[in-house]
Amino acid sequence: MAKSTHLKDEGNRRFQAGDYVMAEALYSQALIADANNPALYTNRAMARLRLNQWDSAIADCAACLRLAPDSMKAHYSLSQAHLALRAHDDALRHALRAHALCVKAADKSLGTITAHVLKCKKERWDDLEKRRVRETAELEAEVLELMARERAQAVREQGDDEGGRREVDEEWGAKMARLREVFERARPEAERRREVPDWAIDDISFCVMVDPVITKTGKSYERASIVEHLRRQPQDPLTREPLYASELRPNLDLKQACDEFLQQNGWAADW
Amino acid sequence: MSASFAAKRLGKELQKISNSLPPGIELVSAENFDEWLLDIKVLDNNPLYQNETYRLKFRFGPSYPIEPPEVVFVQLPDRPIPMHPHVYSNGIICLDLLGQQGWSPVQNVESVCMSLQSMLTGNSKNERPPGDEDFVRVNRQRPRDIQFYYHDNDV
Repeated sequence: MAKSTHLKDEGNRRFQAGDYVMAEALYSQALIADANNPALYTNRAMARLRLNQWDSAIADCAACLRLAPDSMKAHYSLSQAHLALRAHDDALRHALRAHALCVKAADKSLGTITAHVLKCKKERWDDLEKRRVRETAELEAEVLELMARERAQAVREQGDDEGGRREVDEEWGAKMARLREVFERARPEAERRREVPDWAIDDISFCVMVDPVITKTGKSYERASIVEHLRRQPQDPLTREPLYASELRPNLDLKQACDEFLQQNGWAADW
Repeated sequence: MSASFAAKRLGKELQKISNSLPPGIELVSAENFDEWLLDIKVLDNNPLYQNETYRLKFRFGPSYPIEPPEVVFVQLPDRPIPMHPHVYSNGIICLDLLGQQGWSPVQNVESVCMSLQSMLTGNSKNERPPGDEDFVRVNRQRPRDIQFYYHDNDV
C-alpha cells in the first residue's frame, strides 16, 4: 500500500513536469502493487490521454468505473478519449455525466467541464452536418444517375423517330437541370440562419447555456459562470441583492430549449 | 477559471462591438485580449466636455468578467483628461462600478463606456477630486489595488 502511494506520488510529480511516459509507467507499477485503487486508473488514463493512447485510456476509465461508478474524473477522461476517436454520442453522454457529478460535488472544475460539454456538442453537430452534406450530395448524384438511365430508355423507345428522340432528350435534360437547381437552392439555405438568440446566451460567459440556473429575480445564467461569480461575491449580478449558490434553481425549460437550439445549430457552440 | 475564459468572452464582445457601438463610442484598437483602447465623446451640450474626445484604456485580467477590468483615461496631445470630481488628473477613475464591490460580471466594455459617458454628462463641477495633487504625486499603485472611498455615489 505504502509502496503504491509512493509510486503514485512520484507519477504525479512526473505528470506535473510533463513527462507523461514516465508518469504512465509509474502509475502502472503502482497498480501492480494495488490494483483496487480507482484514482490510479484515472491518473493513468490522464497520462495516456496526453500520449494519445485513446483505447488504453478508455480501458483505464472502465476499470475505474467498475470500482467507483461515480468518478467524475473517469467520466471526463472517457469523454475526452471518445471525442478523440470521434465517437460523439459516447463523448457527450460521459461529458454530461461528469457535469452532473461536478454539480453534485460543487467541484471547482465546473467551468472546464461545461466548456467540454459544449465542445462535444459542437463536434457532434459538425460531424452530423458533414455527413448530412455528404449524404445529400450522394442522393443528388444517385437521383441524377437514375434520371439519366430513364432518359436513355425513353430515347430508345422513340425508335427511329429523330424528332421525337430529340424532344424526349430535351425534356429529360430540363427535368435534370431543375433537380440540380432544387438541390443547389437547398444548400445555402442551411447556412444562412447564423444568429444566436439572446435567450440562449449566458450574460457572463457569452456562451450558449448548457446548464442554465435561474435566480430569485428570474434571470438565468450558466451554472458554471454564476457559481464562479458568487464564490467571490454573493450578490445578484443585476440587482446586487444578496444571493447564494444554494438559492439557484435549474431552469429546465430553458435547458431543453438551449439543447434543441444547439442540436439544430451546432455551430453556435463557439459562435 | 482559465485565461481562455476571458479570451473567449472578449472575442465575442469584440465581434459585437466591431459591428456596432452606441453613438459617441469608438473602438481604437483591440489587438489582443489584454488591453483595448476606446474613444468616448459626451454627446449633449455640457460645456465642460464639448468638442472633446477622451481616450480610455481597458486592461483585462485572466478572470474577466468575474473580476472588473482596469479602466483609466489616457492623456495624448489631442486627448485630454476630462475634468470631473471622480477623475484624477493622471486619468485614474474613482467609480463604484469599476471597483471590486460595484462590479458585476454582466457589465461589459460597451456598458462601462456608456456609464462613463453618462458620468461626464451629468457633471457640472469643473474640478478634480479632493487631494488630487497629493494623490497624483504619491500614488504608485495600480487602480485596481487602490481602496477608494466612494463618498458620494450620486455624482
